[in-house]
Order: sequence, then C-alpha cells, then structure tokens
Amino acid sequence: MPELPELNPVIHGKLRLALLSLLIGVEEAEFTWLRLKTGSTDGNLGAQLLKLEEAGYVAVEKKFVQRKPQSLYRMTEAGRQAFIEYVQALKQLLGSAIGGQE
Amino acid sequence: MRVGNEELELKDRLNLIETMIAEGRRTTESYGWTFVLWGVAYFAAIAWSNLSHYYLAWPITMVGACVLMTLIIWRKRRNCGYRTSNTTKRAIWATWAAMGISAFVILDALGFSYRMDQHAYPHVFMAVMATLLATANAASSIILKWKLQFACAAVWWATVVVCCFGTARQSSIAFLAAMFLCQIVFGVYLMIREARARREGAHHA
Repeated sequence: MPELPELNPVIHGKLRLALLSLLIGVEEAEFTWLRLKTGSTDGNLGAQLLKLEEAGYVAVEKKFVQRKPQSLYRMTEAGRQAFIEYVQALKQLLGSAIGGQE
Repeated sequence: MRVGNEELELKDRLNLIETMIAEGRRTTESYGWTFVLWGVAYFAAIAWSNLSHYYLAWPITMVGACVLMTLIIWRKRRNCGYRTSNTTKRAIWATWAAMGISAFVILDALGFSYRMDQHAYPHVFMAVMATLLATANAASSIILKWKLQFACAAVWWATVVVCCFGTARQSSIAFLAAMFLCQIVFGVYLMIREARARREGAHHA
C-alpha cells in the first residue's frame, strides 16, 4: 500500500490556503484586495500573510502611492511549487479516502 | 466517523481552492466603455474634418480621447482601492497601446508631411486605420480566445479590402459601418455583459 502524503501545515490553514489560491491567479495583489476577497480582518490577514512570507511562499513590496502606503503581495516560485504539491497531496488523500470507503 | 470528517475537511479545502481561484480571476474592471469612447471619437473626428477641413481635426480629437481615457482609468483605479495584474491583462493592454501609438505616429507623420491628404486619398487613410484596428482586435481575440472579437477583426479586414478596391463613397460607407458595428455596438454589448457579470458574480476571460 503506497504511503499517504502529509499536507503542508503552512498551507493547510484556511485563510492561508485562500490567500495562496487567490495569489496563484494574479501576478500581484494589494492588501486591500486580499482583504476584500477573503472577508478577513486586517490583523488576521496581516498575521497569515506574515507566516506565508516567513515560509518564503509570498513576497511583499511596500511603497507609497499618492502618499498612501500600499502593500503589494506576489507568490514566489517556492510558494507556487508548494501550492501545487499541496493540491496533489490533497487529491491523493481524497482519492484514498473515497477508495477506502468502497 | 473520523474518516468521514477528515474526508469532509479535505473536500472543504478543495472547494475553497476552486472558489478562491475563480474569485481571483473574476474581474470587476470594465473595457466596453473604451470601445464606445473611441468609436464616438472617430465619428467626431470624421465629422469635424469633413465639415471644417481643419487639418488638426484628427490629431486634436485623438489626443482629447486619449486624455479623457487616461483620466477615467486613473479615477476608476483610485476609487477601486485595489489592483491586480496578470500576463493576459498586460498582453491586452500592450496590444491596444501599441496600436494606439502606431496609429498616432503614422497618421500624424503622413498628415504633417503632406504625403497623405485624407481628403485627396481617403481610401489610404481609412485602409491604414482599418488595418491597425483589425490587427489589435485579432491579437486581442486570440489572447482571450474570443470569437466575437475575432469577428470584429474580420469586419475590419473586409473594410481594408473595400477601401483598396472600392470607390471613395463605398470605402466611406464600409468604414463608417465597421466603426459603428465594431466600436459602438460591440462596446455597448460589452458594457451590458460586464454589468450583468458584476451583478451575477460571473466572470469573463
């Protein structure tokens, strides 16, 4: 029986998974856009983005646009790879769960 | 029971991924108004240059439309509060920006050098414009895999042929008809579609 894969705990968190799923479809996104799409609070969103940043999955660029601070987030290559691996592991686990019931 | 709960959680995660990817691709931006704006600008330039024979009618109208479009985009972005970009968006933007710059350079250069008088050689003037519009529409439709926009490109290519072989009157009618169909009608259709998509939460491209 093949060994079942482990799910990456950094990605498995609901909000972090939602953030990576959003970021994989765009080149870069502002903090406000991510907040709007996830419906999260500023504090929670900032904390989860920091975890993803520390893991090397997202990169942030902070700048001022018309004197207002702007944070632009983009997925790194390591983040893209980890996300793909997570989805593959998830599908494999789901396949085995469905197979195990039959 | 535990296995059932785990399976539910995994399915929940998979649904979350699908929903968020779709949400990330969903665009609230609108482009239909740009087709209408430029359609109106072309009609205004044609009317102005034909009625007054003022040699700066086209450059002034085109620069005016360009400034107006930039102002509207800037205002929309400022009110929006968020920004996303991807390769497709950049490719579409590059196609139309390149077309606009090419049109501006060639038509102004030909006009100011007196090597193409739009009243003496309306066929050439319209053929050049139709070629540029056909190229931009075709490139955009191929990027977006959108047959309707490719049909617009085909209309412009047909206009190029009419402009090369037809009389001045036939060329003018073909050019104005193409302008109305591919700029005004297509733009209004796009605006309606975008408004519906915003309401329903659906997405295009």
